Amino acid sequence: MTDSTGLTRSHIDLSPFAGAVSNRAERLARHAKKQQALGWFCTYTPIELIHAAGFLPVRIYGGTIRVELASSLVPNFVCPYMRTSLERALRGEYKYLSGVIQGYTCDTPCGMLSIWQENAGPGLFHTVPLPYNSGPAARTFYRHTLNELIDKLAGIGGQTDPASLERSLDLYAEIRRTLLRLYELRLRDIFVPPASGFYTILEAGFSLPPEEYLVLLTNLTGALGNIKAATPSGIPVLVSGSLVEQLWIFDLLEAAGGRVVADDLCNGYRYCQPADGSGADPMDRLIDRYIQRFPCPARSTVQERVPQVRALLEKSGARGAIFLFQKFCTPHLADYPALAAELKNAGIPVLLVEMDESGNIEGQLKTRFGAFFEMIGG
Amino acid sequence: MDNTRKSTKRLATAKELQQIVAGFYLEGHEAKRSGKPVGWMPPMNGLIEIFYAMDLQPAFPENWSPVCAAFGLIDRNYQAADSMGFSPDLCGYLRNCVGYINGMMGEEGVPLGGLPEPDMIFMPGAGCVPTMKNFQYIARRFPGAKVFKADLPQVPIEDIQRYHIDYALSEINRIVEFLTRVTGRKLDHGRLAEVVRLSDQACALWDEITSFRRCLPTPISAAEVGLMFVMVTRQGTQLAVDYLTRVRDEVKQRAEKGIGIIAKEKVRLFWDNIPLWYNLGLFNYFEKYGGVVVAETYSAAWSIRLDTANPLEALAMKSLQSYPMVSCVSMKRRKEMVLRACRDYHIDGVILHSNKSCLPITLGQMDIKRALQEELGVPSVVIEADHMDPANFSMAQFEARADAFIEVLLQRKGYRQ
Ligand code: SF4
Ligand code: SF4
Repeated sequence: MTDSTGLTRSHIDLSPFAGAVSNRAERLARHAKKQQALGWFCTYTPIELIHAAGFLPVRIYGGTIRVELASSLVPNFVCPYMRTSLERALRGEYKYLSGVIQGYTCDTPCGMLSIWQENAGPGLFHTVPLPYNSGPAARTFYRHTLNELIDKLAGIGGQTDPASLERSLDLYAEIRRTLLRLYELRLRDIFVPPASGFYTILEAGFSLPPEEYLVLLTNLTGALGNIKAATPSGIPVLVSGSLVEQLWIFDLLEAAGGRVVADDLCNGYRYCQPADGSGADPMDRLIDRYIQRFPCPARSTVQERVPQVRALLEKSGARGAIFLFQKFCTPHLADYPALAAELKNAGIPVLLVEMDESGNIEGQLKTRFGAFFEMIGG
Repeated sequence: MDNTRKSTKRLATAKELQQIVAGFYLEGHEAKRSGKPVGWMPPMNGLIEIFYAMDLQPAFPENWSPVCAAFGLIDRNYQAADSMGFSPDLCGYLRNCVGYINGMMGEEGVPLGGLPEPDMIFMPGAGCVPTMKNFQYIARRFPGAKVFKADLPQVPIEDIQRYHIDYALSEINRIVEFLTRVTGRKLDHGRLAEVVRLSDQACALWDEITSFRRCLPTPISAAEVGLMFVMVTRQGTQLAVDYLTRVRDEVKQRAEKGIGIIAKEKVRLFWDNIPLWYNLGLFNYFEKYGGVVVAETYSAAWSIRLDTANPLEALAMKSLQSYPMVSCVSMKRRKEMVLRACRDYHIDGVILHSNKSCLPITLGQMDIKRALQEELGVPSVVIEADHMDPANFSMAQFEARADAFIEVLLQRKGYRQ
């Protein structure tokens, strides 16, 4: 991005978020001595409930690491996120976790959970089945699956009651509302950090205790209060895909002339939207939020997703869509042909990028991003 | 080297199978002509019994893929899928099916006439993601068909609770209401009880047939896996029961007479994961060394018995168990099942097909490998391939691995010095 955003950026300090991300391993290992931590992979995991039971929910991070140990346990056609996470677990980097809780989304984490349990246990390893539909019977079923989770958590010392759940729901709803406000401010050109900075803010929340994270977020929005809109440069685009752990990809995207104005990512909007649910009791509220959430291809249909992604594009004024997929990510790869066709029909150019395990895609990306923005801009 | 080869079958009753396959597809086209509603559905659940009980016509796009592999149609289907933007990393069933429905479907001269067009589509919310996506694309392709979005708990078999069954039951009831509304036909519960009884009888026969794999020598091998077609497409019919009875009689007779697959059976093998549909000949590969592939994982999905006293609940249970049994949803059960098969069938070695097209069945194989070694002392070998895409399979590499493996097994059994 160019200097036109410099004024805005100079007032904003994102270093607390970056710091939380960079020291997460030691911090969490220390933290787990006073509060048990439970890992999660996917944003369909009901972290509010884990928190309400007295645990710190921590999103498992895979990142860039040479996969050696995991290669002897899983084939190479597994998404890099799952392979690198398993590698870290096998190297003992997740020893501080008391287990992993997973909402049943895609086939990969489902199978990986038992591999973790066999090879990186002991602990509580549990998958919560999720409903595919949204009617009353689906909600009743969901309630049962969540009650079962409460029982499992109780088995390792968790204590949940309606009041504690209400508190956790309030806390995470406030966090999500604040994050959604940052999205709004980004759209209004008031908060225009580099995209890598924007997603670092989100990433920090995956490992910080939510109480601390909310303080950081509130400080940030407070500092944004008096800032005037900037005139950011770059062609506005939406990024859609699995989760993006290599945030430097966004720097390449922006250096090539693009600007991220909206996303449909697992470590972005799909974590935030909606901030809250509604219902007669806290469980209903939790259920409602997860049933209403912005859909992931692993848990919804391409029919449902197409209009929602198009609405995001329209609202944000994005002029192109960049699909950033973890290599071998079946849910996203499978939805792609339909999404791409619909967007192309609507005159939106698309680009597909697969992020492999080596992370050696910098050269290729520079060229492809460059050509894409030149095509849109020209 | 040629990657594709047909299997050599030893059962006389296996020859009838071609008739049965052709008959099923013919019936589908006749149904279409006569106005009997056709529904496309995923396999391994209780829908088929409800369809037969309501005299509706089921069609199984997933099962069409092995047929395409046998007829050499997959290249063209893949090309069609590629041109739509489907990645070659996706499951071959999905690629083949979307390629077919958006390509050659409806053309003159498609073998067996292809799949009859759907009037109804069941979009599942369980099983694997490729299956779910497949049906979503089917629904996109046939906008005139009535679509039912079906839910089912995804839960390991050992963790099934009453509430999972209740939810599965409520979905079955919703399906029956949907079918009644769309087709105007009512479900006769007496007829359903009869269909479920036939279905269970087929499972019992299936179990009985596979139980003869205990015999030394085995009278039936994995090369007869095509028999599964009856379980996939005809469960709940008299036709399946009659055919499986004939198969059972033949296998029994062979067992009693001590007729094996080959003259001298030296080594008994187990195949984990889906067969290579374009190269079922691999099941005969080891025969030149005295090796027989006695059994394979896939058939376990059909050995789930049904509680005939509670037909609807039986279908709910079947739906909850079939897919988890052979995939990573119920790893514990699957591992137990493989180990039990190895014990029961006196298996000397296991071939683990690391299947590029099917992650859900491939994940966890290394834990199975370890358990085989530690608990049974049974060695295993990993073969990298793909159940639908010959491009991901190298016959030369297979031969090198398979030959080295069988050499070890022969030595262990004292056949080689
Ligand atoms: S949705 Fe994609 S990125 Fe996420 S676990 Fe599944 S395959 Fe991996
Ligand atoms: S082969 Fe495997 S991935 Fe493909 S549809 Fe079947 S279970 Fe799913």
